[in-house]
Amino acid sequence: MATLTRSQAEELLFREALLIDTRRYDEWLAMFTHDIEFWMPAWRNETETTTDPDRELSLIYYKGRRNLEDRVMRLTSGLSTASTPPPRVMHVVSNVLLTAADADAAEVSAVFTCHRFDVRMNRAECFFGRYEYALRREGEAWLIARKKITLLNDTIPTVVDITSI
Amino acid sequence: MTIDTAAYVDDRPDEGIFRVNRAIFTDEQVFEAEMARIFEGGWVFLGLDAQAPGPHDFFTAFAGRVPILVQRDGEGTLRAFVNSCPHKGARLAQTQAGNARLHVCPYHSWSFDSAGRSKAVKWHKAGCYSAAFDQQDHGLAAIPCFENYGGFLFGSLSADVPPLADYLGEAAKLLDLVADQSEAGAELVPGQVTFTYQANWKLQLENCSDAYHFTSAHPSYIRVLERRQQETSGEVVASVWENSDYWKEETQGVGGGSYSFPNGHVLNWGVFGITPAIPLYESAAVLAERHGEGKRDWMFNMRNLTIFPNLQVAENASSQLRVIRPISPGLTEMRTWCIAPKGESDAARRQRIRQYEDFFNPTGMATPDDTVSYENCQIGFAGKVDPWLQGYTRGMTASVEGGNRFSERIGMNPARSVLADSQLCDETLYHAYYRAWKERVGGAE
Repeated sequence: MATLTRSQAEELLFREALLIDTRRYDEWLAMFTHDIEFWMPAWRNETETTTDPDRELSLIYYKGRRNLEDRVMRLTSGLSTASTPPPRVMHVVSNVLLTAADADAAEVSAVFTCHRFDVRMNRAECFFGRYEYALRREGEAWLIARKKITLLNDTIPTVVDITSI
Repeated sequence: MTIDTAAYVDDRPDEGIFRVNRAIFTDEQVFEAEMARIFEGGWVFLGLDAQAPGPHDFFTAFAGRVPILVQRDGEGTLRAFVNSCPHKGARLAQTQAGNARLHVCPYHSWSFDSAGRSKAVKWHKAGCYSAAFDQQDHGLAAIPCFENYGGFLFGSLSADVPPLADYLGEAAKLLDLVADQSEAGAELVPGQVTFTYQANWKLQLENCSDAYHFTSAHPSYIRVLERRQQETSGEVVASVWENSDYWKEETQGVGGGSYSFPNGHVLNWGVFGITPAIPLYESAAVLAERHGEGKRDWMFNMRNLTIFPNLQVAENASSQLRVIRPISPGLTEMRTWCIAPKGESDAARRQRIRQYEDFFNPTGMATPDDTVSYENCQIGFAGKVDPWLQGYTRGMTASVEGGNRFSERIGMNPARSVLADSQLCDETLYHAYYRAWKERVGGAE
């Protein structure tokens, strides 16, 4: 089978961004493998993030889509003050590079900015950083098997949820 | 500047009245007085000695608005200085932590050794300095008081304070419960998380001690726990909460309570029991042997401790050390770490970290519902039609002087205590905060 092309990778990343921005969370979750590693490391110091999620703290670390389903449940439950009303978010994903590719797997790096308007507090914020993806072919589809988010501005203004990164 | 503290705290114990005025959270002059008299006028927590473990290691912190450098010299002695060059005042150490035999000011290259002594004034000979200048000490200004209690480092910018042991009093025994979980002491897990919220620092002070909000502010988190409990999947993040029921409304009998101490220190606690969901479980037997069952059981209890005014250690879903840094009446910065016993197993450390991220992080599922509520309070505090808040009275008839059978197990003598069932949710422990606040803010300049 053909390897993933950069334009296919871009399409996948752009689509993921659109699904988050438009709160189509079920479709978003369907883009992940069951065993997805979803990881946003914390910063160890001014220049390095943590590298070992088992011995060092992450901002978010989940192994398994099941945990992301919990996060979506919380976001949409109406039971979380911090998530209601939902902030308006818009991701810009750019500098997409295919860093490895074979028939069934690919690695992609990209950068992002996410603009968030917090309706509740009438304030706009911007979060920015880098993405590293591992993609895996399952049947006809390319799914996200790993997503690592390096958040560069990590002083968190009250809350950063999975939709703002 | 004199603050009329009675206008902010209405404390009439004989009449069963304790009220706090909303303005205490919003007034600029109150904030200025808090900075001058509490944060820059008495003991504040600076960090752990484990943050500067080796020779010449340092870390930076704040005492109120004042930048502080905590530095270990080559012989191992820790000192605390104002992190500011005596020449022009520039902040000297720029990073959160590091190792430096020598600090060289980036502005004019004055330099200081790791004991804070002046090493060189650049081009001193050619400087045509006066004799008076040469008689001055050009070293870093050591802060007036700096002490280490069991690895917890405290400093004071005022010399007019009691010894640290007196300031901590009986609450020191609650720091022991954190430090003594390992013979080697406690450490901070790498990876620090900083967040801000747009509300007053005292909201964080109170929320840590607030048992009443848990089922109201965190139902979405509780729902997640319920979902996870129904599963046997090894994929989900296990939580100690789902293995405990002291906080559930249907639970009967004494499930915990509160203790308050002089100088504004308080503890709110609940029975967790010796359960495998607690990372410390692997040490349960050895800790009982080393410290006795009473102290061991206390190490396993849910404990939210505040050492007034800026240190909180929360041991519930996991274990968090928080440092509160007020920026303005309506803005607070929180520096947070996962604190853990040194030498715990890989499995225990992983379990501690996973629970921590889910519950404590501002990117997790619980803390944001607290901090957003603080912001909602700050907005609501503008309402002055009735300025007096009604949130300081639960437990009024349950609060007794001294301790109880639980504090006796570790020989601890608090000033007041409350034994509670799951629905009492004591609010009288806040009285300790505001009585200390009154003493300090209303005290002489």
